[in-house]
Formats: sequence, C-alpha cells, structure tokens
Amino acid sequence: MRRTYLGEFEELVLLTIGVLHGQAYGVSISQQIEQHTGRIVTFGAIHNTLVRLEEKGFVASELGGATTERGGRRKRFFTLTTLGKSAIVDIHQLRNRLWDLMPDAALNLSGI
Amino acid sequence: MNTPQPPRWAKQLLRWLHPENSIEEVEGDLDELYAYNYRKGPMDKAGKRRALWRYLLNLITVIPPFVRRRRDKPKYEQPSFISRDMLKTYFKLAYRNILKNKAYSVINISGLAIGLASSILILLWVQNELSYDKFHKNADRIYRIVGDFGDLKIALNTEGMPAGLKQEMPSIRNTVRLSEISKALLEVNDKRFEEERVYYADSSFMSVFSFPLVMGDRATALKRIDGVLITQDMATKYFGTQNPIGKVLRKDNHENVVVTGVLANIPANSDLQFDFIFPMTALEKTKDAQRNVWESFSYHSYIQLANSFEPSPAHLTALEKQINQIFKKHTSFQVVFQLQSLTKIHLSPTRLGDSPGHGNAQYVNIFFITAILILVVACINFMNLATARSARRAKEIGLRKAVGAIRTQLVLQFLSESVFISFVSLLLSVGIVFLFLPIFNTISDRALAMPVSDPRFWGSLFGIALLTGLVSGSYPALFLSGFNPIKVLKGNMKSMGGNLLFRNALVVTQFTVSIVLLVGTVVIYNQLKFIKDRNPGFEKANLLYMPITGDLWNRQQALKTELKQNPLTADFAITSDLPTNLINGNLGANWEGKDPNLQTVVQLMDVNEDFVDVFRLKLAAGRSFSRSFPADSNNFIVNEKMLSIMGLTAMTAIGKALTFTGYNGTIIGVVKDFNVKPIQQAIEPLILRYNKSGGFVVIRTLPGKTGPTIKALATLSKQLNPAYPFKFNFVDQDLNNLYKGEQQMGSIFNLFAVLGIFVSTLGLYGLSAFMAEQRTKEIGVRKVLGASVLDVVYLLSSGITKLILIAIVIAIPLSWYAVSSWLSGFAFHINVGWLVFFTASLVAMAIAWLTVSYESVKAALVNPIASLRID
Repeated sequence: MRRTYLGEFEELVLLTIGVLHGQAYGVSISQQIEQHTGRIVTFGAIHNTLVRLEEKGFVASELGGATTERGGRRKRFFTLTTLGKSAIVDIHQLRNRLWDLMPDAALNLSGI
Repeated sequence: MNTPQPPRWAKQLLRWLHPENSIEEVEGDLDELYAYNYRKGPMDKAGKRRALWRYLLNLITVIPPFVRRRRDKPKYEQPSFISRDMLKTYFKLAYRNILKNKAYSVINISGLAIGLASSILILLWVQNELSYDKFHKNADRIYRIVGDFGDLKIALNTEGMPAGLKQEMPSIRNTVRLSEISKALLEVNDKRFEEERVYYADSSFMSVFSFPLVMGDRATALKRIDGVLITQDMATKYFGTQNPIGKVLRKDNHENVVVTGVLANIPANSDLQFDFIFPMTALEKTKDAQRNVWESFSYHSYIQLANSFEPSPAHLTALEKQINQIFKKHTSFQVVFQLQSLTKIHLSPTRLGDSPGHGNAQYVNIFFITAILILVVACINFMNLATARSARRAKEIGLRKAVGAIRTQLVLQFLSESVFISFVSLLLSVGIVFLFLPIFNTISDRALAMPVSDPRFWGSLFGIALLTGLVSGSYPALFLSGFNPIKVLKGNMKSMGGNLLFRNALVVTQFTVSIVLLVGTVVIYNQLKFIKDRNPGFEKANLLYMPITGDLWNRQQALKTELKQNPLTADFAITSDLPTNLINGNLGANWEGKDPNLQTVVQLMDVNEDFVDVFRLKLAAGRSFSRSFPADSNNFIVNEKMLSIMGLTAMTAIGKALTFTGYNGTIIGVVKDFNVKPIQQAIEPLILRYNKSGGFVVIRTLPGKTGPTIKALATLSKQLNPAYPFKFNFVDQDLNNLYKGEQQMGSIFNLFAVLGIFVSTLGLYGLSAFMAEQRTKEIGVRKVLGASVLDVVYLLSSGITKLILIAIVIAIPLSWYAVSSWLSGFAFHINVGWLVFFTASLVAMAIAWLTVSYESVKAALVNPIASLRID
C-alpha cells in the first residue's frame, strides 16, 4: 500500500476541495471548513496548506477568469489530482476497514 | 450597496509583504473574506472592528515568516534557434535540399563557383597591382621627384638636384639617383651577353631601398668604382655554382668590373626591374659626365625623408613648394616638381621615362568592378532560382510554420542553406583557381600565386563566401519565410505574384551587366585592332633594324658601303631613335618672333638623308636632307605640329631660320605628322636633325626576303663588329610590344566578360527551365486546343524579350560612359558608333533567346497526353 502522509488539517482541506468540486478556492474552502468544523481557521493556514498540497502533487491549481467581483482580481481554483483523489480514497478505505474491525462493545456508550 | 473594503493601509501592507506570485488571488480572497465577515455580523462599529480584526489576523498569517511561498511551475526552456542542434538541422536540411533538386543545385553551385573563381583570380591580380614596392622597409618615406613641363610629364630629374636639395633641406635624409635603364655587354670566359636591364645607381641605393642582398656587404656594395651588383639569376647565368663575389666580368669590351654583391632576384612587384646595378661613379668617371647640372633631365631620383618628418599631405605640399623654390634659384626652366610616393609610382599615370611594365590604375578599377559584377550576377542567379522555386517550397514552409517554426528559424534555415551552397562553391572555386592560375598567368604575364599560407587570404575568402551566401540568401529567406501558412496550405498561391517583379528586375540587372561586358569586349577588340592596323604616318611593316653598337659607328663608311652593295639591305636609313617610343626632347628651340614665355619641349631625332624615303614619310613641303647640300648638317626638318607652334604654314616655312640645340640652321623640309610615341599620346612638335652619331640602322626589307636580309646583316655585323653579339628586331614588333599592357587587359577582360555572360546565361536557363516546367499543364491544354509548337515557344520566350529591351535601354548609356572614359586615354582612338551597341544588344538578345528557347522548344514538343495524364 502506498503510504501517504497527510496531516489532519491537510486531509480536511483535501476533502473540502473534493466537496466543493471545481468551486474550491481560498474563501470557499475556509468558509466550508469553518461551517463544518466550527473552528476559526486563519487564512494563512489554508493558504499554506494549499501550497504544500500542490507541492506534494495532491492538488492542481489554475487561475480563474477575471470577474467584476474582487476588483477584477482572479481566483485560484483548486482541483484534486489523481494522486489527491487516490490519497483520500486510501484514507477513507483504511478508516472503513478499521471501523469494520472494531468490536461493537468498544463503542458501547455506557461501557458498563 | 458597495462592497465593504478593508482599510487601504492594510492592503498596502499586504502588497508589500506577500510573495509576488500569489498576491493576486490572496488579496482577492482576503477582500472577499472581509466583506463576508463584515456582512455576517451586526452592521455596526463593533461588527466592522471585528471584521477588521479577522482581516488583520489573516493578513499576519499570510506574510513572512508565516506564509509559504508558492513555487513557480517549472517552465519548459525554449531552445535557442542558433543552438548546436538547430544549426545541425539547418545544414542537414540544406544538404538534403541540394540533393533533392540536383539540376538547380548544379546550376547554382557551378554559377557561384565560376563567379567566385573569377573574382578570386581578378582580386589576386588587383592585389598584386596594389602591392608594388610595399616590400621596401622605408616604403612610406621614399618619394620620387618628378617634373611637369606643362603637358609633358616626365619621370626623370636632373643630375645635380638631389644632392643640392639634400644640402639645403634637413627633412631629406637620403637621396639616390638612378640612370635610365641602359645596356651593357658583359663577358666572362666564353659567356657573352648584351644585358638590357642595367642601372647605374648612387651608393645610397642599398640603404634607401631594401632589395635583399644575399652575398656581400650592404654598406660598401656600391662604393667601388669598378664594382657591380648582380642578381642571383645572373650569378647562375655567368658563374654557375661558383661563388660570384670577387669574380671579374668584362664590360663593353674595354674594362673589367668586379662582383661586389649578389642581390636576391628582384620581386615581381617591384617597379624597378633590373639584373645589374653599377655604381653611379662608373658613369660619371669621365669629366664630361660630372656636370652636376640642374638642366639636363636624365636620372630617376628618389628621396628618403627623415624619420622626424611626418609625411602628411600638407607637409608634402610644403616640401614640394620648397623644392620648386630651390630649383628656381638654379635655373630658369619652367618645371613644376612633384613628389610621388614610392608605393604609388606603379599605378600613377605613365610619365615619360617610367620603367617598362608600368601599371594602369584604370585597369585595376575596371577589373575590380568586373569582379564585383560577376559575383553579383552569380548571386542574382541564386536569388532568382530560389524565389522562382518558392511555390514548390511554400508547402514545406506552411507545414513548418504550422508545427511551430517561428519566422526567425525559417530565415535562418534559408540563410544557412545559401551559406552552405556558397561554401561548397567556394571549395569548388578554389579548385578552379588552382587549375587555371597558370593559364591566367600566361594571359596576364604575371607570376601570381595563391598565398595558401597566409591566413588573411583564407580569411578574406571565407568573408567573401559568407557575404555571398548571406546576400544571395537574404531575399529568398525574407520572402519565403513571410508566407502565410493558412494560405499556402490551402493551395492559394495567388499571393505570391509579387515576387515576379523582383525576379524580372534581377534578370534585367543581369542582362544589363552582360550587355555592358559585351560592349566592353567589342570596343576593346576594335580599339586593339585599330592600334594594330593604324598607319602611324609611316609604313611600319617590313622595317628591320639593328642597333649600332661597339665599333660599328667608327666604321660607318665601311658599314654604309657594305649595306649599299647588297640589294637586300640597300634601302636603309640611319636614325638616332626609332619612332616607337621617343624619349629625346629639348627645350631650346628658338626662332624669330618666338613668344619669350613660350616653353615647348620639342622632340628630337637625328636622321640621315634616307630616313624620309625608307620610312615612307610624306613631305608637306620642301625636301629631305640631301648629300648634295653640305650645309644640311646644320639644317632641320620639322613636322606640321611644330609649324603650327611656330605660327607658320607649310608654304612659308621653308627657309625660315631656326636655332636648336646649338645649331643655327634653316628649315629645309616639312614632314607630315607621324607618331613617334604610343598612340595614347597626341602628336607633339618634332625636329629632325642631321644624323652625326649613329643609333640604329633601319632597313626596308624586300617582301619575302626577310630571312636572307637578316642573314646578310648578321654577316656584316660579325665582320665589322665582332665583339658584340648581333641583334636585330622589327619596328612593327616593337610597336606591338608598346601595347602589350592593352592587349593583356583586353584578353583578361574578354575572359571575364565571357565568364560573366556565361554565368548569367546559366541563371536564365535555370529560370526558363523552371517556368516551362511550371506551365507543363497549361502547355498541354493549349496544344490540345490547337496551339502550334511555335505558338508555345513564342508564349514562353516573349516575356524575356521585354526584359532584355529594358536591359538594353539601361545598359547603353552605362556602357557608353564606361568605354568613352577608357578611350579618352588614347589620343588616337576609334569612334564608338551605334553599331557597337546594336551588335552587343543583338548578341545579348540572341543569347537570351537561345537559352530560353531550348527549354521552351523542349516543353512545346512534349506530347500533351504525357503532360495531362498525371492527376
């Protein structure tokens, strides 16, 4: 099995990009994460993670067209690369396998 | 509602600090987040502050040191189009293209090779002409003093002047006088020759000039009064392998001279050509010769300027002025002296007394221009064929462009192709030059060689080839690379008609050059024929002469009696000089009523009673010298030109008193003008004196009896003058030799004119072949519809006629100007009539027609089925 080292936040960002499917850019990603996790995420954290993910080859980016929004400044859209997709699929499968292996008793709330 | 904006200072801060390559999206994202946060909360001051706080927090996280820099995507490097690989490709393509179109390549390469070879040959010749006397170490400080007597320009100077000048002028470091070229009879053991390349020179000769001395001491070589300097060739001729130093030669049968030095053979590019140098003291040892006068012009004199003297034009003019002033102090002669730089002597206009083999600057220019013209014609061939074939290569260019070739690359591709071809041609032309140099040397009477070891020579060849390649490739390169790929790939070739005009202009240029060359050839031929056939005022054929040397003149009575007795030699005359290239002249003619300011150089010949008869001269009035008038030894015969200067007519002249060279006599006869000099020079006044000093025996031989006459003369010479070898020659041969330079020039010019015309014909042939090929289908259709072979030939050839007519119109004034300026160098020359231009034009037209019609006829004869069946 290919070993992919993804940090927790990286994984989160990667998943968000998948969720946003083509509409992922700095603002949308940060809003999604805030919305779903309730954490306050600094923009720098998002930016740095995106840059790092791109360096690792999990995402690709492309500048969008100029619009009248944002004073004509273009957005940088992120998409998952094949490597990125297989990375989250790997992680997902690993988790699922682990969940399947877990005995029901372990999740018994009362524990009694 | 306006989008809320974060404060300007914060944005400014962001722009300063955030990495440049991601600022655009980050700034936009932050703005958007600010607006989002602002709107999300309550729209009050606190909300705004909260939004600002978020903004600033975000901002800090995206500026260094917290921000992560986006790495730029690695860009693919654009390979340079002059990289090694591309160059390799260009030349590979050129090679393949040459192989692909063999016929065109052969025409191109052979045309260029012939053009280059002609240029190399001519430039070698020109280079040699320009290199005269440059080998002297002090060449730039040596000047020759020459004088102008009005129109008469002489190369000689007086005996006393050089030494006198040196005394008064510190800027003159050294002077050397040289006698006119003279003869000497030299003898050692059984070897006896009459040498004709002999000079007498001051002892400073060896320090002023740098002729290398192989044996002997430079400083003392000419100090000994009975010494002699000989060249290596002469050393071998007289002494074989023996050491010649100190050996004795018997000179002129009456004195012994000792070899004091051996000179290396005189380089061919030396204006002075000699085999022997005797010391001037030997010439001046008789008291009579030590006159040191300033009025007798009989020596060449050279001065070497002091090293401190800077030979700028202004300084030299001042120096000339000073020389003229000093001269005026010594004599009342009206001569203007000039200084001639040693290296410029060879190509300066000929002066009286210049050494034989004098050059001609005009010929250097003519040949230089011819070389360039031939090269231009060859370049035009290349351009023409390349543009004509552009349609064929249009698809290639379109495809190259479509797959991403940029224009510069295509330009380079075509340029490298033409440079490649020009270098192949260069190689070929060097071979041609090697093969033809011996022939060229025979024609031009030179000893030219390829300076193979000189890197400068190869450098200039390389330069010429590169230039040729670039020039001839420039138009096709720029033209072809400009094609629009869409149009050419769609097969729309209409856009390429524009080059037809250019191509026609090139053809016109080529034929203009050809016609000019043709006119030149015709005119030179006619003028040379004119020279050969012209009657110089006397009958030049069948005149045999023998110089009177040694004891002959002492036995003149016996000589005359013997000559008279033999019917073969009975028709003879004695004259001091031959009327071929008379150098004798004198200023001292005087007559009643002469304008005291008039200073004329009158030429002078001493002739005997029979001269007028033997030379078949015509008398305008009076009579010739006669034995029945003893007073004739003081009398004169003059020519018509002399009369006109004296202001007399033939009727009034006879009996007029005339004082000349110390004789007081009367004019007894007027002879019609005849040439005594080469026909470049107009007829000058001439006085014939009665001969008392010998010179030459001239015999009018009987027709067909030349051989026996020579034999009779030889016997006579052996009998009366046994010490001297018998020598004879013919007046008409001497006359022909006078025009050797012109004849050589004519042959060289003819050769290159033919080559130039050939090269342009080659180009025209290629062009017409291509045109015929392009119109194969058209011709097929026309023939099917009933056109005859003649119609088709006319169709294909009519275009060229128009072009040639234009070329004729341009070429006639050009060639008229060119030949007129050449002919103006001759006092007697042909008149260039319209016939010459007509002939040349007709020949050019005929050549063009023949060239074009060959391919046209070939195309017209093809069965239309063959040409229409394809596709």
